[in-house]
Amino acid sequence: MSVFNRTDAKPNETTPATTVPPPGTPSPYSATPEVKKPQAVVQPIASGAPASTGGVSVISKALKITGQLESTEDIRIDGEVNGDVRAVSVTVGNNARVKGNVYGDTVELAGTVEGKIEAKKVVLGGTARMTGDVVHADIKIESGAFIDGHLKPDFGKSATKTNGAGHA
Amino acid sequence: MSAAPPKAVFTKPQNGNGAALPVSKLGKAIRVDGELETDGELHIQGVVTGRINAGTLVIAGDGYVEGDVVAREVRVDGRLNGRVFAVNVTLAKSANVTGRVFHNSVTVEQGARIDARMPWRPPSYFETLDQLPETKS
Repeated sequence: MSVFNRTDAKPNETTPATTVPPPGTPSPYSATPEVKKPQAVVQPIASGAPASTGGVSVISKALKITGQLESTEDIRIDGEVNGDVRAVSVTVGNNARVKGNVYGDTVELAGTVEGKIEAKKVVLGGTARMTGDVVHADIKIESGAFIDGHLKPDFGKSATKTNGAGHA
Repeated sequence: MSAAPPKAVFTKPQNGNGAALPVSKLGKAIRVDGELETDGELHIQGVVTGRINAGTLVIAGDGYVEGDVVAREVRVDGRLNGRVFAVNVTLAKSANVTGRVFHNSVTVEQGARIDARMPWRPPSYFETLDQLPETKS
């Protein structure tokens, strides 16, 4: 008596053959030239994590990163980053600290940056502490912000700047 | 704070409020190269290359981590290539793990793709883990 019942015809083996040939030629009865629709294969993303906030990344206050961050979406930093940050929109929170350059379309700063900011739109909040140059096209500075560096309205004007921003 | 104290590699649960710490999340579109350190929870949906120290680490279905991971708790739904040092490890059915998994307790769900050594270690091993051991890859 075999453990695996081999005599059973496996129904699985036969089924693929039947499903393979699609009705290749369009039926002659259908007058309209039917555009073959690509069948939308909906693959559920089997991640247990709840899709809370899309692709936004949050570096919480308990996290410290040494190295480079790059995203094609938004980044919010409440912790500490030693290294360069590149994203579409970068928000540096109140007690956050970035030692390095920050590149983006929009950079909002309420914390500390030691380095350069290169962004189309820059907002320095009242608690911002910026040590380094700011290259921008549009800037807002609230009362209370500390800036030690140059403000240059050169964003996007010359691609000489370390080709940093990367958002043409 | 230039003179950083010699940090313990394994972050112990300090006064047990690790859960109160906010969760850090690295979204799908992100790419990080370097070292990540947190006592709290870290969710990775993007790509991380480097070293991770965390209280709890979750590598989501889309996530990919290459490098050493030291954490109290690790759950892998995505891909991991490297070494894991964690007391509790869960490798979910969508996990794809290559390397070494040092653990005290491990769960592997059916379907997980694992090409790894999985050495068991006593809890004390993780508490005294100040320096990651050299292992031949």
